[in-house]
Amino acid sequence: MESLEYFLPQVWFVILALFLFLYVMLDGFDLGVGILSLTSSSEERRGILMTSLSNVWDANETWLVIMGGALFGAFPLAYGTILQALYIPIFLMIFGFIFRAVAFEFREHANRKFFWNIAFGAGSFLAALGQGFALGAILQGIAVDDAGHFIGGTWDWLGLRSILVALTLIQGYVLSGSTYLIMKTEGELQNTHYLTAKISAVTTFIGAVYLTITTPIFYESARDRLFTQPLVYIFALIPLLGTLLIFLLLRSLYLEQERIPFIWTILLFLLSFLGLGLIVFPYIIPTKITIYQAAASPSSLVFMIIFIGFLIPIMLAYNIYQYIVFRGKVTGGNYGE
Amino acid sequence: MDFLSNPVVLSRMQFALTAIFHILWPVLTTGMAIYLVIVEGLWLKTRNPNYYYHARFWSKLYVLNFGIGVATGIPMEFQFGTNWAPFSQSVGDFFGSILGFEASMAFMLEAGFLGIMLFGWERVNPVMHYLATIMVAFGANLSTFWILTANSWMQTPAGGNFVEGNFIVKDYFQAIFNPFMLNSVLHMFFATLETSLFVIGGISAWYIINKRNTDFFARSFKIVLAVTIAVAPLQLYIGHSSGEQVYHYQPTKLAAMEAQWETIPAGQSASWSLLAITNEKAEKNPWEISIPHLLGYIIEFKPKLSEPVQGLKEWQPEDRPHLLGLIYYAFRVMIAIGVFFAGLMALSVLQWLRGKLSSENIWQQRWLMRGWILAAPLGYIAVESGWIVRCVGRQPWTVYGQIRTVDAAANLPPGEILSSLLSFASIYILLFCSALYFGSRIIRQGPNLELPVPGVDEEAGLDLTPAEHKPNRRPVEAQQ
Repeated sequence: MESLEYFLPQVWFVILALFLFLYVMLDGFDLGVGILSLTSSSEERRGILMTSLSNVWDANETWLVIMGGALFGAFPLAYGTILQALYIPIFLMIFGFIFRAVAFEFREHANRKFFWNIAFGAGSFLAALGQGFALGAILQGIAVDDAGHFIGGTWDWLGLRSILVALTLIQGYVLSGSTYLIMKTEGELQNTHYLTAKISAVTTFIGAVYLTITTPIFYESARDRLFTQPLVYIFALIPLLGTLLIFLLLRSLYLEQERIPFIWTILLFLLSFLGLGLIVFPYIIPTKITIYQAAASPSSLVFMIIFIGFLIPIMLAYNIYQYIVFRGKVTGGNYGE
Repeated sequence: MDFLSNPVVLSRMQFALTAIFHILWPVLTTGMAIYLVIVEGLWLKTRNPNYYYHARFWSKLYVLNFGIGVATGIPMEFQFGTNWAPFSQSVGDFFGSILGFEASMAFMLEAGFLGIMLFGWERVNPVMHYLATIMVAFGANLSTFWILTANSWMQTPAGGNFVEGNFIVKDYFQAIFNPFMLNSVLHMFFATLETSLFVIGGISAWYIINKRNTDFFARSFKIVLAVTIAVAPLQLYIGHSSGEQVYHYQPTKLAAMEAQWETIPAGQSASWSLLAITNEKAEKNPWEISIPHLLGYIIEFKPKLSEPVQGLKEWQPEDRPHLLGLIYYAFRVMIAIGVFFAGLMALSVLQWLRGKLSSENIWQQRWLMRGWILAAPLGYIAVESGWIVRCVGRQPWTVYGQIRTVDAAANLPPGEILSSLLSFASIYILLFCSALYFGSRIIRQGPNLELPVPGVDEEAGLDLTPAEHKPNRRPVEAQQ
């Protein structure tokens, strides 16, 4: 029983990381495409951008809903404390989601599309910004009492560091959106996004380098743990691999490859995730509350593994099926009905 | 304006606003999904293209609602954390895992097949498409199941106990199948279905009365009518047994629903209050019309009750639900709408049996059609009223008998909640007006009966091979 109390929260930490990764990977490019739509030069281009997402954005966003539900069930203490602490970033994200979601249908039916274009682009931006602030604030640290309840202030989440994290995340989403559009479009539009991909790859890299260097300095506990063997080797490997991936990504962009840049981008996200996971573990509210303190009862965790865990392959299967059905380039400007 | 500085009141207002607004959209999409399964099934079976056009026309309204439903659903989940952290931390063990099941089992299923259902007509074969439609409908109704399970547990918590304020599950089966669960799930299932049926029927009636595509809409009108024959009476019955359960498990709520101040002892005649003016300060109803013996008949089919009906005065004011007038009238509005629906159904069936609903002369049934147009928005009002009775009537408890609402809310700065509340209010007004505007536009445009029908070869019947993938062409559905 003793080991189970460690093992089960660890399993859920990994499952939650998986959900969050799927969300960031998939809705990341949705939000990136949305942000890029703000720079679209014509109504037709914007139409193609939105069509490329019309059948996938909802399922992609759902990974976050699943992550939320699973966090609520598996680590109730963290769910309450983190969300209360991040009140404003969470609602920024939610309002962004609302505008993004309704823009698809409303723009399609509207005669004057201007307002819904802005709703789509600015909504995507707002959602990404909220997420960036949330991530930044969690890494920055949340003020809690001994029982793990939030005792900080309304604006605690706002700081130089969380702004930097937010900007980097937005760059990452733009990169991901650009490489997705390289896959889904052709001609002029594709050329534009080779360019946006190159720019955002560089800006993402700068942000990531800065954050990687400063994070271990920031966390005493992370520093102590990461600079002991054998973790230090893994930890040293991550920046090296990251640099290599950025190089490969830029190279594939110069060679004008169509699918490869998206794959390198996903691997970059995966690598950043592994890095973050290593730094954060075993905390769920970094450096205050561990996953063991925040975990639900073992019976709940087991029950959730049965009901949610075994559904993961099934969910992945029908999501992949949907991508296969809608593979190929998008050319028409109609969002479709 | 004391309440503006009270975080509990503000969080409740925000939750009420977001819930009341959110439910408007999934009510239609969950119920209409079943209608879409019916018409697409009829199309596959009969190969009559009219059924295909029904699927296409109604799914336009469907997707308009769906987007708003998704967008407004997300704040519901996250609010448990942002505004109700103590509640989340105390019951997350059970309540959170149920929301997790809902998301992964139901919500993802719906989202994962929605793209194919809406945009995949040309990309997959008809049977695969039908499977996608069924999955969307199944996912939506599975959502109803899990959400109502979670809410029922808040009404009649079971399956574990509270240890140092945290709920620890002992028996998941008992917690999920808590006393209210079955009735609540069925009541909401039929509520979404009945609301959608009367919306579809009402819109069809509007076309019929205007003699637009009369043939086409007489078809949907009759499909809807056929289904309501079962749904309308069943809903009344389930509503009735839900009321009986409230009588047994939530006496404070029953007293509030009836605005009953004094206890009616066992063996006395119990009258049913039809209309009343309530006065919470004076603890009485200054004016009231009631029907003798009726409450006895409602609860036990006899004039005198074998068990007492407890009055509000049995509890201290802080243990009673407030907003009495709201609970009392919301309950009566819901019942009146349920009865009106059943009556309208009965009248329409009568005309149908007399042969008055044939596509040649259905437009002459002007009053009946007007009745259906009037009925179209009523389902929503009934659903909202029912939820008001359910959740305002549960007060002062968030988890009945266990966690008080004042203890469930996070102690946030009032300004913070007020700003999100006002943002929600303004965004939702914008969404509501836009949805009405675009929805009525879709209705005024009417169905497109020129669309090519996919996968059907006139000679050979249904073609079951997958549609050829045409990477450089938008699917036919984009060319409307």
